[in-house]
Amino acid sequence: MSTVDDPRKALEFLQGTLEVLILRSLQGAPNHAYGISQFLEQQSEYEFLVDNGSLYPALQRLLQRRWIRSQWKKSPNGRRAKYYRLTPLGRTQLVVAKSRWMRFVEAMGRVLAPQR
Amino acid sequence: MREWWSKTCGALHFRRGLDDDLSDEMQAHLDLMTSENLERGMSDDEARASARRAFGNLTRTQENARQAWQFPRFETILQDVRYGLRGIRRLPSFSLVVILTLALGIGANTAIFSVVYSVLLKPLPYPHGERLVWLGESTAQAEGISITWINFEHWRHDGDSFENMAAFNGTDLTLTGRGDAVLTHDWLVTSSFFRLTGAKPALGRFFAESDDKPGAAPTTIATAECWQRRLGGDPNIVGESVVLDGTSYQIIGVLNPGFGFLTRSADFYLPLGRAAGASRKRSDHGSMRALGLLKPGATLTQAKTNLDAIMQRLALSDPGPEDDHRAFAAYLTEVMGNGIRTTLLVLMSAVGLVLMIACANVASLLIVRSTARAREIAIRVAIGAGRARLVRQLLTETIVIAAIGGALGLLLAGWCLRMLIVIGPRDIPRLTEATLDLPVLLFAAASSVAVGLLAGLAPVFNAGKVDLTTALKEGAPTAGTGRHGQAFRSTLVIVEVAITLMLAFASGLLVRSLIAAQNADPGFDPRQLLAIELQLPESRYKSDDSVRQYYGQLSQSLRAEPGVEDVGLIMCPPGAGDCGDYWYSILEKPTPARDDVPLSLFNRVDANYFRVARVRLIAGRNFNDSDRAGGPRVTIINERLARQEWSDPRLALGQHLKVGGPYMEGSTLEIVGVVADVSQMGLDAEEMPTFYYAFSQKPDSAMVVTMRTNGNAAQWMNSARRQVSALDRNVPIQSLRTAEDWLGATLQRRRFATLLLGLFGGLAMLLAAVGIYGVLNYWVSARQREIAIRLAVGAHRSTILRWAGFHAARLAAFGIVLGAIGAWIASRWLESLVFGVTARSPLMMLLAGTAVIAIAGLAASVPLWRATHTDVVCNLHDA
Repeated sequence: MSTVDDPRKALEFLQGTLEVLILRSLQGAPNHAYGISQFLEQQSEYEFLVDNGSLYPALQRLLQRRWIRSQWKKSPNGRRAKYYRLTPLGRTQLVVAKSRWMRFVEAMGRVLAPQR
Repeated sequence: MREWWSKTCGALHFRRGLDDDLSDEMQAHLDLMTSENLERGMSDDEARASARRAFGNLTRTQENARQAWQFPRFETILQDVRYGLRGIRRLPSFSLVVILTLALGIGANTAIFSVVYSVLLKPLPYPHGERLVWLGESTAQAEGISITWINFEHWRHDGDSFENMAAFNGTDLTLTGRGDAVLTHDWLVTSSFFRLTGAKPALGRFFAESDDKPGAAPTTIATAECWQRRLGGDPNIVGESVVLDGTSYQIIGVLNPGFGFLTRSADFYLPLGRAAGASRKRSDHGSMRALGLLKPGATLTQAKTNLDAIMQRLALSDPGPEDDHRAFAAYLTEVMGNGIRTTLLVLMSAVGLVLMIACANVASLLIVRSTARAREIAIRVAIGAGRARLVRQLLTETIVIAAIGGALGLLLAGWCLRMLIVIGPRDIPRLTEATLDLPVLLFAAASSVAVGLLAGLAPVFNAGKVDLTTALKEGAPTAGTGRHGQAFRSTLVIVEVAITLMLAFASGLLVRSLIAAQNADPGFDPRQLLAIELQLPESRYKSDDSVRQYYGQLSQSLRAEPGVEDVGLIMCPPGAGDCGDYWYSILEKPTPARDDVPLSLFNRVDANYFRVARVRLIAGRNFNDSDRAGGPRVTIINERLARQEWSDPRLALGQHLKVGGPYMEGSTLEIVGVVADVSQMGLDAEEMPTFYYAFSQKPDSAMVVTMRTNGNAAQWMNSARRQVSALDRNVPIQSLRTAEDWLGATLQRRRFATLLLGLFGGLAMLLAAVGIYGVLNYWVSARQREIAIRLAVGAHRSTILRWAGFHAARLAAFGIVLGAIGAWIASRWLESLVFGVTARSPLMMLLAGTAVIAIAGLAASVPLWRATHTDVVCNLHDA
């Protein structure tokens, strides 16, 4: 089978996925934008490459929906940075979105690679 | 919901805070990345640069993030508008050309649209005007003929699709007892008429049903204009009487000013049922029509089916000669726009095409400007402007210019409209009501925006193709001159040439038609012929004898005037149109089937008329003194009628024409003569079959006295007035004009349409010339260096001329071919407006093509001259 997909290329985010992933990255502890992007890249084993041009607007949208809050704090290495954390509403949204995405992924898998 | 709320807050308060916050945050982000890079052992500069690279486009990220908080780009729009205005100030002459071009295009369109809107589209000024239906009867041959009173009564009673119905009938009555006798124009209407048209009384009351019955006391309602002009504006007029045609009518009310019905100006309204209600026969036709108000939701088809069913039922219960008659129903708006619709639509399309040319010119100018701005655009892209953002800005700039052009166009339209109303024919309904009202303003605004978008899109397509590196490097004013832009501009020129050809062709056809109509043979000699239109008051001239005597005496005294050669009488002079038509049949020929009975106009003339008017006698004899009342009844027919029935007009002589056909009552007339056709309906209309009664046998109180003079006919107007008044000062002169004026008036609409279309054709040529000049000039400018090199290496100037000329000729040729095809297709549509030439006249196409080529050649000559006179040294030095 010839490879259609080039594994060296990072995956692009599907519509609406970045927001969920941001929420997930904040599940454990508050983090700043750079931290979030690093978290996503590491967790996806560098399949996702986070573009700041998408990350920042996504963060703004989440702030707008009151799913996350932001606060300026000192980072462990003494630098000031803006930290985002989940709101209770955001936590609920994460649960909802997560279960929906899992269903979606399973369904996609069942269709694309059926197991007989 | 939440997003909207937070956006509102965002828009109101912490916008500025957000900006600072975002840039702080991103700076912190960069710092974090830099410090990590430093930890990895990079140098200071390297660490910073690498972080910068990894972060991506800082400005655009910030702008995108900020936009999450904004309403749909309102702020950027304002900013773009400001920028557009600044752009206009920076290039005043460029902007002036664009704005003027648009103002011309939009102004002309708005003016014509306001006429179209007022005449064809605007709801009638009556309550529920959109549900008002014009009603008449129909036969197999004629639609919308008059309704008889009894049929109307049945319709009114059983017409379930109608909320209400009112009949009306125009009439002219002589008002006496208040100074000189005057002829008044009046409407006979049923009592429901005012409710249907929503009229309000200024004084008194309207007709009650009891006023509208046979035997009711004579009552009348005056219009506000009549009350002012004829009744002295007397506030106590209600209750007083006026004498109309010898009958005294009590005035019961005065209408509100401004109430009008159809195009006819009116003095008095009288109850119709009082006279017509006595009618006993279902086939008693007058010239009554009716208005119906459809029930809400009822369709025209339903209404017609409804009335047809009534007619079919009546044919069984009350059989008569007109059992095949059916109902005619059409929306009042449509009936009023009839006859002028095609003309207006052609004018609207023509002026729309002019706007397209204007639009193409502006687009091509904008492309030039945007190529000149390629560097600026490249810089914007380089510092992070998104493509969508850039497109929006360019479009907003164009729309700002278009809006200014539109506003100026509106001023122009207001001025043009006043001109149109002044020069427009009087008989176009509601033309004088045309104003720049809301729908017209919306039209102007919409066309401005549309033009802005259309013209603005051209440079946008170009802008997307800007090659950053070259644009930034070159920096020459011609930077970014793409093959693409040039091709697009060439297409615009081709389209302009094509449209201009179409307009030149159409206006040429109309001018040719007008000339043909003006030179058309009217069938008589209208020069030095004066026409006095009279209407004898019926109260004073009751008997046929008194009418004959009056006209006999008047003819005699006029003939005695010095310079008057002869005097004749006709009921309906050439150019006056249709004064009545009726069925006929020829007794000697097989009886036609009920549906095939032919129609003919009828007219009345005395024994002198044909000689006075110089109408050629084709066969037989003229009327003479032996055709007396009580003697054998005779008629003279026109050539059209004769040829319709016989192969040779002479065969008609001695045969008998039965008025009314085999199925209607009417007298039988012996055909004693055949005369040439005259332009009865107008110089540009087809002649109709006509038969003439002898005035001596069938006199009429309303006749037109024609005087053949030996000089300018208008000079005899005063003596005509004096003689009429000397004979009986109670006889009003209805009109006094020369026969040439009667005929000329029939061409008013044609002159109007031709003048406007000619103007649009001229405007199109002017704009197209500017467009061709602009494109070619730019083409030459862009190639100046190339030309200079060619000249330097020894090319002859004629080679350059051939090369550039070929380019120009190719564009023109494409445009002309395209335009010829378009004109050929559109000519079908012009057929009804064309007279004396065919709509697909190859000669006219040739002329239009020649004119367009001449204009294109003229416009191209300057750039071509520039091309051949390129200064080699200067250009090569610059390089």
